[in-house]
Amino acid sequence: MTARWRVSGPVVTLLLALLIHVVGMLLIKGFGTTFGVRAMLVLAALLAIASIGQTLVILLGGIDLSIPFVIGFANVAAAQLYGQGVPFAVVLPGVILAAMLVGAFNGALSSILAIHPLIVTLGTGTTLQGAVQLWTKGFPTGGAPAWVQKFVSIGGTIGPVPVPWLIPFTGVLALGVVLLLSRTVYGRRLYALGSNPRAARLALVDPVRMWTVTFALSAGFAALAGILLLGFSGSAYAAVGAPYLFQTIAAVVIGGTALVGGRGGYLGTLAGALCLIELTTVLVGLGLQPPLVQATLGVLIVALVAVYGRESHVRELI
Amino acid sequence: MKRLFARRPELRLAGGLFIVLLLLNLILNPVRFAPVNLGVTLGLAAPLIIAAIASMPPILGGRGGIDISVAPLMGLVNVVIVRVLVERAGMTSPFEIVPIVLLIGLASGVLNGLLATILRIQPIVATLGTYLLYAGLTLTISPSPTGTAPAWLKSLAGTGSILPILAVVAVWLLIKRLPIHEHLMSVGSDDRAAFTAGIPVTRVRFLSYVVAGLFGAVGGLSLTGLIGSADPNVANSMTLLAISAVALGGVSLAGGKGGLVAAALGAVDIFLLQSVLTYFNVSTFLLQMAYGAALTVAVALNSDRLGQLLSRRRQA
Amino acid sequence: MLEARGVTLEEAARPIDLAVARGEIVGLAGLEGHGQEAFIETLCGLHRPVDGTVTIRTEVGREAPVTSLAEAVRLGVAYLPRDRRGTGIFPGQSVFDNFAIAALPRHATLGVVRRRGLLQRLRDFRERLSMVYDRPDAPIGTLSGGNQQKVLLARWLACEPRVMLLNDPTRGVDLGTRMKLYDTFRGLARNEGMPLVVLSTEIEEILQLCDRVLVFRERAVSRELGPDELAMDRVIAAMFGQGEAA
Repeated sequence: MTARWRVSGPVVTLLLALLIHVVGMLLIKGFGTTFGVRAMLVLAALLAIASIGQTLVILLGGIDLSIPFVIGFANVAAAQLYGQGVPFAVVLPGVILAAMLVGAFNGALSSILAIHPLIVTLGTGTTLQGAVQLWTKGFPTGGAPAWVQKFVSIGGTIGPVPVPWLIPFTGVLALGVVLLLSRTVYGRRLYALGSNPRAARLALVDPVRMWTVTFALSAGFAALAGILLLGFSGSAYAAVGAPYLFQTIAAVVIGGTALVGGRGGYLGTLAGALCLIELTTVLVGLGLQPPLVQATLGVLIVALVAVYGRESHVRELI
Repeated sequence: MKRLFARRPELRLAGGLFIVLLLLNLILNPVRFAPVNLGVTLGLAAPLIIAAIASMPPILGGRGGIDISVAPLMGLVNVVIVRVLVERAGMTSPFEIVPIVLLIGLASGVLNGLLATILRIQPIVATLGTYLLYAGLTLTISPSPTGTAPAWLKSLAGTGSILPILAVVAVWLLIKRLPIHEHLMSVGSDDRAAFTAGIPVTRVRFLSYVVAGLFGAVGGLSLTGLIGSADPNVANSMTLLAISAVALGGVSLAGGKGGLVAAALGAVDIFLLQSVLTYFNVSTFLLQMAYGAALTVAVALNSDRLGQLLSRRRQA
Repeated sequence: MLEARGVTLEEAARPIDLAVARGEIVGLAGLEGHGQEAFIETLCGLHRPVDGTVTIRTEVGREAPVTSLAEAVRLGVAYLPRDRRGTGIFPGQSVFDNFAIAALPRHATLGVVRRRGLLQRLRDFRERLSMVYDRPDAPIGTLSGGNQQKVLLARWLACEPRVMLLNDPTRGVDLGTRMKLYDTFRGLARNEGMPLVVLSTEIEEILQLCDRVLVFRERAVSRELGPDELAMDRVIAAMFGQGEAA
């Protein structure tokens, strides 16, 4: 009986984002302007793309701390290579592929040796960032082609529609991820492995292959986000991904995906990303200093998860 | 020493690494590691050692238990001591400051424990929340490095740095004699079995966060002694280092395996590694790279599965 | 169809030989931990024997060795594990997902699942096994233990196996379901000629289902009882190692 009346997680999160938006409009003058909404959409889209991988990895029961470092790597490497005259049509797939190799290494090592992915991704991420910095001597040069900048620009338009191409692109990407999760062999196996690894193995789901592929995808999407961020900020910066370490996890968790694996989905993450950006914007709009915004976000994330993202008691696990 | 490693195989790698790195440091950097300067060197390592020990108890409790707010708590304690207690309230006596600091640690531990075990928010998210809260408060109290710590605290920079370490070790040794330690280890290895055996799983895990908070506060004292002023930026980078140290020492992130020696040894290893690399005067970038690679290789070598795979190959 | 030759489960244990013919139901019995579980896991490639081989006769009549679970399944083996909650169901996933997982690759085009075909198969099995569930997307946890077990059986039947290995298939299910499962097993053997190996902790079940039974003691077969020797007291005696000389 109760099951019928329970609204699905992503819808709740989306309603919450709308609620925050309304609160923002009531409290802050000029909050709902077109420019403000456009800025929030672009920021949420970037976070949503960076969080695709985190969603997949967490559904598997893992976690990927290398995302911010891979974002930084892609950001710097793309700028550097493009600046050195390599055509962007080569840079884009090249950088994403390189990132995916690092991700594949993360997944394979964690699953073959049964090491917690938190440590492995932290180790490889740190190494990767050090290597990138060493390569550019800490001062990356170059930039992104003009069309990439226009693609993500807050002021960008599609004909008469006042949003940049990034927004529909994210929409299509999101649809792709949702279909990947719900309609493909890979997606169904991901849920199975996340919800019961031992049963999945007996049902012929190869854990090493799944972990390798999933972490490779995670790094690939992080690299894509890193390159888009290059277009957004105009110049490269190795630490550009730093905020995404916790933001991607927060977006996934606020979206109702459980860290234990097997439960949740990407629509939730999408709504979670929107929620997080709305919240940040409202707090900044209320005149809070950045440190206090951070502190308040911490409290609110915990409060949100406390409402509907709680784990089950050990007695229910027996 | 040998007996210790035979009984605790997970320590072997961290122990071996310790000996190699110590020898390297003694050869490369004899002055810094001369007996006279040992106090100062220990002082440099003390905050990380305590941070690692503080991060350990929730991890031992298993099922994703982790406290990533330890380092920001240390940073918060640091700015509270210098900017609030000393500058605004005019306190200087350790008998006023230490109890207040411990109370902050207790409050933090209770808060994290409440969120992670009683409200059952996934620990990494719960302590991420408090992480952001503490880091934000720290920057609000002191946006930039400033102020000076009382003299008695500054004396914790040298040989005196052993004091907070000893305090933490003494408390942990006491805990090890109580049933709670046994309970924590069994909850960490198999919480369902522990629950069925009548162990109060939630209470045990809750207390592990309280211990983490108290130890974190002591770490804050140690950190303040080392830097001698208020610095809002120094502690945050220690979060990931502390977790790395715990893993390097052989404490299993799955719970139920490891202890104080493991966590402390892992932290010392990281400190010694940094010290060796600094000697070569390499760029911070290479340092970061070497450190990341060392962490990955070390945990890979320390994994039980690697041993199983190798022994299977030897048989075949 | 399925043959084990000289399989030893531990050093110095007596080797086990077993050849299962078409349409035959072979029981495995023994006290807990006496090797019957290791043996059935060896048959499906999960467990490597110390010595000996397991082979399957393929459709073209070739003898193919079983080296891993994946290889065994490729050769047409289906293995239904014992611990339903631990190694069977995917908690939180739907009935459909729990049913479809093993057969996904055979119902996919370029990695995309053809849901309609699988849903139709699930409906067929619902009828055939008299499964009770609300809708295919109902969570598996809302089903009774017996119905969960039927979903797991359907999961493997959907792979169209040639041999089935069942590890305590009626553990913790109600009587009605148990009878339905017995009928299904018998039907598979009699009508489709499928060989079945059934490990059971209940002697009654073995007596009802099986054509013959291997009784395990100390990680080897202590006795094999044929059709006219199948009786409760004989099985029990063999399990406890009595009357071996007789």
